[in-house]
Amino acid sequence: MVKISDVRQEAKRLLEKGKVRGVVGYVPGTRGGWAIPYLIQEAERAEQLVWDPTCVHNLALFVVEEKKEQAKQKEPDKRPLAVMVKGCDSRAINVLLQEKFINREEVVLLGVSCENSGVVDRRKITHLLHGQQAGEIRFGDNGNIVVVVNGERRIFDPQEVLADRCLECQYNFPVVFDYFYGEKIKKTPPAPYAQVEKLESFSLEKRRQFWEEEMARCLRCYACRSVCPMCYCAECVVDPISFAVEPTTTAEEKAKKIKWIEKSPLLSENFVYHLVRAIHLAGRCVDCGECERVCPEGISIRLLNKKLEREALRLFNYVAGTDSQAPSLLSTFQETDPEDFIW
Amino acid sequence: MNKDHEPRIVAFLCKWCSSAGSDMAGVSRLEYPPNVIPITVMCSGSVSPIYILSAFNLGADGVLVSGCHPGDCHYIKGNMYARRRMAFLKELLPYLGLEPERFQMSWVSAAEGVKFTQIIKDFVAQLKPLGPQTYLRRSL
Repeated sequence: MVKISDVRQEAKRLLEKGKVRGVVGYVPGTRGGWAIPYLIQEAERAEQLVWDPTCVHNLALFVVEEKKEQAKQKEPDKRPLAVMVKGCDSRAINVLLQEKFINREEVVLLGVSCENSGVVDRRKITHLLHGQQAGEIRFGDNGNIVVVVNGERRIFDPQEVLADRCLECQYNFPVVFDYFYGEKIKKTPPAPYAQVEKLESFSLEKRRQFWEEEMARCLRCYACRSVCPMCYCAECVVDPISFAVEPTTTAEEKAKKIKWIEKSPLLSENFVYHLVRAIHLAGRCVDCGECERVCPEGISIRLLNKKLEREALRLFNYVAGTDSQAPSLLSTFQETDPEDFIW
Repeated sequence: MNKDHEPRIVAFLCKWCSSAGSDMAGVSRLEYPPNVIPITVMCSGSVSPIYILSAFNLGADGVLVSGCHPGDCHYIKGNMYARRRMAFLKELLPYLGLEPERFQMSWVSAAEGVKFTQIIKDFVAQLKPLGPQTYLRRSL
């Protein structure tokens, strides 16, 4: 089990000695015991750190945000940032290292193991509790999840309450870290690509119907893009609003910006947006599942990313975020790459 | 479905091989269907997947990406990068329900005028029974 007191102690020590400019971790939220991500800058607040199955957020995102924030400062704080990372977060950090978005010296990684479990899906919990507020949610024995409702202790099977991504996860402990808490229990999910294969087995017509229903709901709120640690581009190619316009930008420069798709959430434009996003995440997505969690319409975005993840494995034997030294998938090639589809 | 529909194909041809190959077909006075709109790019490696998706979005019935044979790239390895990238797109489009025939990739060298005409003929023959592509097309 992860001893949270050890994490708190280490975070406190790092902050007291001024070795880091902050610790990004989880603290109890204000509502129903759900943890929230928090940037701790005072040593005494390190006591608030928690680690339980409600720590759903991918904290690698805050490394990206902090990096952008520091770049704007006149006198940036050169000290590293300490981050609590679980398995998927650490793989996201690995991809950022691989792409040289950050250097290894810029982060201190406090790795925590998800043990034999994972994080919970809020929708599943709400459904199971029939809308009642969970007072406390914590790890139980053998990967079970303990939920306290109105003082009553209920134990749930991980299959019932864990997020889909955790049920399909093969990296339940960090692959890169400076400090490690908990145990490394290697788990093998029964069928990580079962959902993708199910959709593939449908006929073309049925797949089309499925995706039309999904994409028609998209509001293009870009929540999936905002929450993704890999979507760090300052200007998003499929979103003309994000083009940087400065006082010195001339009308001609504005006119030259290519508007690939319309802003309006039409079915066809939604398709292109999600396809482009999926392609841009090919070989980079670590399946942290944040895009699907934050989607207000509950679109199965993970199904797209998971498909490309499987193709990367099947065609190129590549798993994103496992090796920060290896070249990234699309910036390299092999002579033996498959080309049977080429005329 | 309208069987008489004349498919519109957008072809991204690399300047050094495939575009020269299509030129070869022209100067050799080989006949091929006029359904193709060629766009010359500097290298097949410079073709971003968004070009292809945008072509479908703006009403193309089929998209062809064509480059030099492996090892013949003017920029040494541009076509090898393209091969990886297009492999993903080739898998992804049918997964979303677009007919797999609508997107093709080929290697055409500057001397292969005949191969180029054959590819266009085959492509048009494959697209005709499918009718117009309305799935990704913008309906404004």
